Order: sequence, then structure tokens, then C-alpha cells
Amino acid sequence: MEQQEKEKQEFIPKKYSIISDILFFVNFYKKYEPLVLVCCVVEIILGTIFPVFSIYLPKITIDLIISHAGIKEMIFFLGSFTVLMIIVYGMHSFVSDGKYHFYNTQRTNLLGLLFLKSLRIKYGYTEAGEMQKLYWKAYDAIRMGDSSAPSLMVTGIVGMMTSIFCFLLYSAVITVLSPMMLSALIGLSLLSYFFNMCHIHYEESLREERASVNRKYWSVVESMGNIVAAKDIRIFGMHPWLTALRDQAVSDIVLVERKFSKKRSFYEKVGFTLALIRDLGAYSFLVYQAVYGSIRVSEFVLYFGAITGFSGFVMGIMNYLSQLRAAANSTDYIRAYLELPEEDRESGTRHKEELTMPIKIEFENVSFSYRDVEEVSDEALEKKKKTVENNSEKMIFQNLNLTIYAGENIALVGVNGAGKTTLVKLLCGMYEPDSGRILFNGIDRRKFPKRELYELFSVVFQEKLIFPFTVGENLALSRIENVDEKRAWYAIERAGLKTVFEEKKIGLKTYMGRQIMEKGIELSGGQQQRFLLARALYKDAPLLVLDEPTAALDPIAESEIYQSYRQYSKEKTAIFISHRLASTRFSDRIIMIEDGNIIEMGTHEELMKKNGAYAEMFRVQSSYYEKEQERK
Amino acid sequence: MESDLTKKLPIREHIKNIKKILNVIYQMNHAYFFLASIVHMINVGIPYLGLILSAYILDSFTIKGYQEIMIVTVAVTVGIFILSFIASTIWNHLEVERERMYWIYTSMTQEKMLILDFSRINSPEVRDIQTKIDRDMNWGAGLNSVFWQFNHILYQILNILFAVFVGMPVFTQIVVSNQWQAGLILLIIILLAIIGMKGRAYFVKIHEKFLYTTIKEEEKEEMFCCCWEFARGDGFNYKNGKDIRIYEGYDLMKRWTVDVLFYKKFRKSIWSGAVGLAGAAFCYSSVQGILEGGAYLTIAVLALLGTVSLGNVVKFAGCLKNLMSAIVSLIGSLEDLAVTARRHISTFEFLALENEMYAGKLPVEKRSDNQYQIEFHNVSFRYPGTEQYALKNFSMKLKIGEKLAIVGMNGSGKTTMIKLLCRLYDPQEGEILLNNVDIRKFKQEEYNRLFSIVFQDFKLFPFKLAENVAVSKQYDIQEVKNCLIGAGFSERLKELKYGIDSYLYKDYDEDGLEISGGEEQKIAIARAVYKEAPFILLDEPTAALDPLSEYEIYTNFDKIIGTKTAIYISHRLSSCRFCEKIAVFHKGELVQFGNHKELVKDTKGKYYEMWQAQAQYYQMEAK
Repeated sequence: MEQQEKEKQEFIPKKYSIISDILFFVNFYKKYEPLVLVCCVVEIILGTIFPVFSIYLPKITIDLIISHAGIKEMIFFLGSFTVLMIIVYGMHSFVSDGKYHFYNTQRTNLLGLLFLKSLRIKYGYTEAGEMQKLYWKAYDAIRMGDSSAPSLMVTGIVGMMTSIFCFLLYSAVITVLSPMMLSALIGLSLLSYFFNMCHIHYEESLREERASVNRKYWSVVESMGNIVAAKDIRIFGMHPWLTALRDQAVSDIVLVERKFSKKRSFYEKVGFTLALIRDLGAYSFLVYQAVYGSIRVSEFVLYFGAITGFSGFVMGIMNYLSQLRAAANSTDYIRAYLELPEEDRESGTRHKEELTMPIKIEFENVSFSYRDVEEVSDEALEKKKKTVENNSEKMIFQNLNLTIYAGENIALVGVNGAGKTTLVKLLCGMYEPDSGRILFNGIDRRKFPKRELYELFSVVFQEKLIFPFTVGENLALSRIENVDEKRAWYAIERAGLKTVFEEKKIGLKTYMGRQIMEKGIELSGGQQQRFLLARALYKDAPLLVLDEPTAALDPIAESEIYQSYRQYSKEKTAIFISHRLASTRFSDRIIMIEDGNIIEMGTHEELMKKNGAYAEMFRVQSSYYEKEQERK
Repeated sequence: MESDLTKKLPIREHIKNIKKILNVIYQMNHAYFFLASIVHMINVGIPYLGLILSAYILDSFTIKGYQEIMIVTVAVTVGIFILSFIASTIWNHLEVERERMYWIYTSMTQEKMLILDFSRINSPEVRDIQTKIDRDMNWGAGLNSVFWQFNHILYQILNILFAVFVGMPVFTQIVVSNQWQAGLILLIIILLAIIGMKGRAYFVKIHEKFLYTTIKEEEKEEMFCCCWEFARGDGFNYKNGKDIRIYEGYDLMKRWTVDVLFYKKFRKSIWSGAVGLAGAAFCYSSVQGILEGGAYLTIAVLALLGTVSLGNVVKFAGCLKNLMSAIVSLIGSLEDLAVTARRHISTFEFLALENEMYAGKLPVEKRSDNQYQIEFHNVSFRYPGTEQYALKNFSMKLKIGEKLAIVGMNGSGKTTMIKLLCRLYDPQEGEILLNNVDIRKFKQEEYNRLFSIVFQDFKLFPFKLAENVAVSKQYDIQEVKNCLIGAGFSERLKELKYGIDSYLYKDYDEDGLEISGGEEQKIAIARAVYKEAPFILLDEPTAALDPLSEYEIYTNFDKIIGTKTAIYISHRLSSCRFCEKIAVFHKGELVQFGNHKELVKDTKGKYYEMWQAQAQYYQMEAK
């Protein structure tokens, strides 16, 4: 039990100081949108000036009245004061709101950088549970609109700096009146700081709980509105179930909010009490001074304003501090992800030009296990290794040896979870073996730069990944201006899509899907699979891997693909993974794996003769296809 | 392209919209508005108490003793304390209520999706409304904005009332005393404020245009940013990084995510939004400056002429400033609320959608012998918005207890027939009969009880495994387990720490299960079995399974199905041999019907063609 608890411990990213996080954003904006920084500086300066107007305006007015100034003088002084106020107030709001869309756009940019980063780190990281959690935490930190880390940072820095400057300014004003008063006020402020901190700590302790109930709510609500689920929802009568879940989620949220509001109510009342003490103190002191003539009436107004305003800035400093702390916490997730080491794509001692085509592949004593935090921290790796040793089931491959000859067509078969897809991921460099080597024409594949290694492969994975971009961009996965038109059409033709495309007047610049363009084309499941094939054919790499490329096809389309497969894989080394054993008939050799071990290998005839696991599997599937008379 | 949100609307319409949204709140909590009014009354009143107190003190310095002044001061300060205490208690209660209402309201559109006609949830009409709702609820216009703006308005109205009440003497003085200088100054200030607010309205329009105008199709190439969709993983999440790595798609991804943010057109639009927002803010705050300075100027001129005491200067300047800024702010908030209320129209429009399908009233007779017979009678059907028939002049009888297979090419109408059968759609022509009664005449929920289905694109939910099988919060533990085991899920079930109480996926519970496609299919089958309906329909139920698991499931089917009527759809013709009858669909029509033996004899038929296409690879052996 304890062990499990430990294992659940999440990968905690490096803690950065608040200052370091602030500098991170300063640099970020400096690089992408310096305008935001300019606005912030101006806003801080103006923000410091403008509360001063509120306390000096009554004082000046009263002074002018008492000194029996002339009406012209009055209009001149107060009028110019007003003009100044208009400018300062106006400009303050101008920069304050003006920067909003700029930093929000940069928030989107940051999110894009996060996504792009996920494409540049080692692939293993993106599949590891801890890294996924980190990604989603970083994503959440950026997602949440005005309460996202980047937004809180901007408003927090500005608010914090403004409050500090105002605090100093007001302190100076009050010191002139009475240093005693200032120390009393600071004492009161410290007290309220203490209570406020309690409140903030409490709020922070509830944050996780709040996030958790909110997430539950959204997962219920998203399930309700899910269009794919709509059929199931209706036929199975899930309406009462889902609304019950929703109601429960809402009442869970209300429970947390109630807890929260009770505390807030308490601390608010503490605040009122402190304000009462402050006001009574200030009044009795100031009234005393005024009654006995030590200060003028106008000064009474000024100081009273300064004293009541003072605590506002102390509160401001505390609130912005807690805001910055929260923002810094989530910023750590963003930085941790963005600072993950990138995959080294360029360095290598050997080059793909050295390889003679087609390529021969060898697995030499390859062992492999999925490790959660791959090399991110040595400690985690050590821990993982230990658990792996204790728990040998986690090993996917142990001392796997396999040779695929140059130009050979291999059919890879096995039950779900036997390790077929993992084998492909290992082969094309998504993962590195824990031990052992994978050789291409006798050269360890790690000696090639990753970028060149990827260039050797055309792979159709199981997931149907089609972007809402143009046909050309989807085929080549590069910008439309870099798409080779001839080659694209040739690939489309070979994948058997040309007639459909011509019929529907689909060109390379036609958009796919409706996410971006309303007029985008939608391909059927079978057509999508052919399209993915076309992508592999467009690339025309020397190693071709097809992972279940016919699952969504009807019998005739499936058969067509089989027939063309020979031609696709001509002069290439190819691997075909399929549950439909019919596919094995087009392969030179069949490799059957089970629990990460090669249990049988050979041609279809050989394996049938051997009468082992493959023969059994084939018989299970073909039993229904045998001709009637032979069945008896 | 002008959007429906930026068009001018008569005030009557705005009031109607505001009434509607406020009524939503009222319906959820009758007391909210009353209690909120009390809180605002106190909160507005407190600063005026402070003002009156200051004025009293200022005027008393010279004429009253310290003690006398302090008695009043203490009494008022303590009074303020008690009032704040009361207001805070009520307000914190209201905040919880607001949260409750917010979360319920936010889920209403999704809840509506549960009961809307299936044929409409994905229709262009509904999609349009939903796009609008997405746009309208963006940029913080949810119910919380309504609360915020409404409370603000209430506050400002009370503020105006208090200001007039407390400041009345000086206002009358300006009028009565006939001091034209003060009057003139006041007039100029008001004029300037009006100009400022006009300016604000102009910039607000610019900003709204930026917010609500949809990007033109031809500009999307330079304006559409995919960051949010991609990062969230709407089908193309980072997990699919395999393809992007192998095919060097990084540069293309960059172009559609971050590069586009720096394209000229995109930048230009950001600038226009920023100018609108900043301009409006500039005008608004300048007006605040005008009012604050102007209030003092007016009073000071009056005081100079000797009609106002010093204490009253402070008091009346405060009142005048409050009055004017409350009016300005009220106008601003009313405009904001009108815009927000307008942005809820799309939600109301959606909630008010009425189902078009005929809602029958007949109960479905519960029969223990499962003697339900279904007949398709000359049924033709086109999907809404398409010309082509998905099913054409289709007639067929489903015999009780029969096992029927449906085969055909992609797009031949197999799944369509299932959808018609369970009345997700109504056919345009012909009828479907249950025990000789048109199925439209039955109550839909009762009719639905007859069917257990595993759709090709079935969906499981991120909740408890057991609840997923039973589709309810209450379930029979043993029965759930039996169904899961029957569907071949027993091995994984044994491994689960929390057994059938485990959560699926990571959405609801962070430590939920990761399940493979094959396991999902098994759970979906268990769900269909748990329902114990007389008809069981399976659309490609084994597509994600390997041959051995597939075989296991097929051999179990007979046990699972028992005497029920069953329909299979499969691309693997092998599975059809389990079935007594096979229906072959081609281009929306039933082209062949019979058992395997009969059909395979017809060498010109579609069935033979498909059979051969698949079987040839398995039969080479025999030759």
C-alpha cells in the first residue's frame, strides 16, 4: 500500500523563485511583444500618481476657500488640476486596457509554443503519464483566461509595483503628520497582514479541491453534450443518469464554495474590526489635533484620506503578492515543460546516404520497458528501475533478436497487446531500447541523426490523424508552398483516391474537415485510411510500416489494398501489421509475437505445417471462410 | 461581415432580453434580488454615513467640544461596523447561491442536447446556434457577467438615490441662489461628460466589431490560429506526435499555430481590438476625472460666494461626484448588460428548440415472452440536407428470435437502417411497424427499452466502470460483474484495484483507467447485455479485437443472446455465418436476402463478390 502511494507521487518540477518567474515573463514579452512591457511601466507610473489626486483635491479646495481666493484664481487652480486629472486618469486606463489584447494574444502564442514543444521533446516523454500530467498542468495554467498564469503575472506585477509605490508615498505623507501614527498604522497593517495570510493560505489549500470539483463538473457536462455519445445516450436512456451526475457535481461545487464563503465571511469581519479600530484611532487623534489647533481643517481632510487609503495599499500589496505567488506556481509548470530537453535531431556520426537500399534491419538483444519519467531525473529513473526489476511484467521485450532482410516484406501478427505497435515505435526511433541495439545495414541506428532516421520511414499509424488543413498540406505535412504537386497526385492515384477526388473536384488546396473552413471536405472512414496511405506513398521512404491499415474498410476495398501492397512495397523493406490474417499472404515472412517474444517465424506454409499458434489463429479466422464441402 | 450582435436594436428589444435573463435567475432563486438589494442598500449607505460624519466633524471644530464630537463619531463608526457585518453575512450567502445558479445554467445547453431530436443535434441549424453560443459565451459573457453587471446597476441606482437625498440641499441651492457661475460650471461639466461618453460608445463599437465579427472564409488562411484546438488535443493532440515527427510536420504545425499570430492581417485585427478597448477606457476614465474635479470646482465656487459651510463642501462634493459618476457608470453598465443579455439570446434560442419528431403516446406492452415483431415497410430515407437516398424502398421483417446479419460496402445503408430501427431518425417514406403498429405512435423512451446496441462509434463515459455498464448510479453489483465477464473483460477486471468502482479515463478522476480499444469494446458489449432488451444490435462489434478475442466473443454470443432477436453488422463476412439470415445492402437497397449457402451460390451477386474478396486469401490453402 505504502509503495503504491509512493509510486503515485507526481513528478515535481523544479521550483523557481517568484522573481525568476517574473523575469521569465519579462523576457517572453520582450521577445514577442515589447509593447506589453511599455504599457506596464507607464501604467505603474500613472497608477502611483492618481490616488494622490483624490486626497489632495479636497485639501486644495478647502485651502482655497479658507484663503478667500478669487473666483478666477479658484477656477484656474481647480480647473488645471482637473485637466491634469483627466489626462492621468485617461492615460492610465488607456495603457491598462490597451495592453489587454496584446498579452492575451501572447497567451495563445505561449500555448502554441507548449504544443510545439511537445513535438520536439523525446517522443517517450509525451506518452509518459507524469509528463502528460505536467503538460495538462501547464496547459491549464495558460488556458484559464484572465486567471491564467500569464495574465495574472501581468496584472500582478503592475498592481504590486503600484501598491508599493503608493504605500511609500502615503507613508511619507503620514510621517509628516506623526511618525507615531505611521507606526500604529503599520502595526495594524501587520495584524491584518497576518489574518489575510491565513485567509490566503486557506484559499490556496482549497484550490486543488476547487479545481477537482470543477473538473468533475466539466467532464459530466462534456459527456452530456457529446455528439458521438448522443446515440448511446438515447437508446440506453442515460438522461437520468447524466443529470444525476451533474446535480451531484454541482452540489459538490456548492459544498466547497460554502466552506470557502464561510471562511471569507469570517476574515471579512476581522477586517471590519481592524478598520473600526483604525478609524476610531484616526478620528480621535485627528479630531483632537484639529480641535486644539495643531492641524488645519484642510489637513484634517488630507490626513484622514491618507490614513484610510493607506490600509488599502497594504492590502493591495498582500493581495497582489498572493496573486503573484499563485501565478508563479503555475508558471513553474509551464517553464518545466518548455525547458524539457529537446530531442537531439542533428548530431550523429553516420549518415543515411551511406546506406544501400533496401535496408536490412536487425534487433540485437533488445530489451525494452515503458518508463514513466524517462531520464528526466536520475532519481526517478533509479526508482523506476527498481520497480521494474521487482515487477518483470512491465518489460515489453527481453533480449529480442530479429533480422529483417533487405527488401523483405514482413507480416507482424499477434493478439492485442502483444507488443506489435511498440516494436514499430522502437524501430523508428520513438523509443530507445533499455539495452541491446537496433542495426540498419549493420550500423547502430543511434549513430544516425534523428532527423535523418525519421526520413527513412513511411509509417501509417493506427490513429487517423488528418488535420483541418489543405489536402496538399496533409499529404506532405509541410507548408502548401513546399508541396510537390506531381508527386502528390501520383500518391493520391496510387492510394486509389484519384477518381473520388476528381469526381468531387478536390484539389491540393481544398481544405479537409470543417474545423477551419466551412466548405472543407469530409472523407469517409475508408477514404481516410486510403488518404493516410497516400501520405506514406508521397514520402516514399525506404522503410514502409503499415499498422492496421484496413480496419475500417469493406471487404472489396480491403482486398484492393492487399493487391496494391506488393506494388507499394516494391524495393522497400516493409512491415505490415494486421489482425486480418489474409494480409500475411502477401508477405515474404510472418513473425508472430506474444508477450514481447517472437514465438513463430516463417512463411505461411511453413507455419501452417508447424501447426503452432499461428496455424491455430489462422484456422480460427479462416474456419468461416472455408468452402462448405471442405468444412465437413 | 456584420454580425448579429453588432446590429442596432430598438430599446424595447434590449429590455426584453434583459428581462429574460433576469427571469432565469429569478426562477432559480426567488430571494436573490431581494437580498442583494438589502446588501447594496447597506453598502451604498456606508460611504454616505462617512461623508455626513466628516462634514459634521469639519463644521464642529470651532463650536463643539472634543468629547461631544467623539461621542457622535464613535456612534457612527460602530454603526458602520454593524452594518458591514450584516451585509457581509448576507453577501457571502448570496455568493454561494450565485455559484450554484451559474453552474446549473452553464450546463443547461448540454442538458438540452440529451433530449433534442437526434436528427437535429448535428443539423446545420443546431450547429449554427451552437457556434453562436460558443462565440457568445466567450470573452466572459456567462451568467456571472449578468450577476456582476446587474449588481453593479442596482448599486448605482441606489447610489443615485442616496446622492440626491443627501445632497438635495445644495442642488436646490444652485438652482435657487441664482449663482450663474456655479450653474455654468456644472453645465460645462455635464456637457463634457456627455461628449466623453459618446466617445466611449464609439470605441466600444469598434471593440465589439473586433470581438463578434466572424472571420471571412477567404481571410482564414491568415487569421485562423489552431493553438487552442491543437493544444487541447481535439483529435490531433500531442500524442499523435509520432506522425508529425516521422513526416517532419513541425514546420507546418508552427505555421498554423504561432506563425499565424504574427501575420499582418492577424496583427491588424489585434490592433483594432486594442484601440477600441483602450479608447473606450480612456474616455470613461477621463469622464471620471472631469466629474471628480468638476464636483469640487462647482462646490468651491458656491462656497466662495459664502453659501456653503466647509463641512458641506466635503459632503456635497462627495454627493455631486457620486451622483454624476453613478449616472455615467449606470449608463455604461446598462449598455454592458444589454450586450450581455443579447449574448444569451443564442442560448435561449437553443433551449427553446422544440422537437419536430412526432412524439407518440402509446405505451409499449411489456412482454415476458419477448414476442416483438418488427417490419420495415417500403422505407425510404435521406439524411437531412442531402439529396441521395441512404436507404431506398426498403422492406424487411425481423422475425422473433432470429439472428440476422447485414453486410455491404461502406456507405451502403447498414448503419442507417439501425438508426431508423431505433428511431433516431424517422423515414421520409414508408413506415416501420412494431407488432403491426407504426413505431412513431409509441412513447420514445419505452420504445427505446426494446434495444441494446453496440454502435460502431459507441461511447463510454469517464465515470465509474459499473455505472458505465448499468448507465445508472444504482446497479446490481453481481449482474454488472457477470456482464463484464461474459464480454471477456474478466482478466483486466481481476487486476483492478477498485474493481468495478474504478473510473474510466482520466477526465473525471485523475487516477482513472487507461483502457485499450479492445477493452472499450468489451465494456460496450457488457453495457448492451446488462440492459436485457429483447433486441440486440451489434455494429462492427469486434473491429478492434484480434482474431482470438473476436472468436471468443463470437462463441459467447449465442450464450449472451439466448432467445433474443439479434442483428449484426460486420465487414468480416465470416461472422455472418453465425446468422440464420443475411441481408446484403448495396447503395441503400436490399439486394439479396437469404442464408450463406443460398447467397454464395449466386455467383453474380454482391455477396459472392465480397465473400470471394475476403475468402480467397483463406482458401488458397485448401486448393
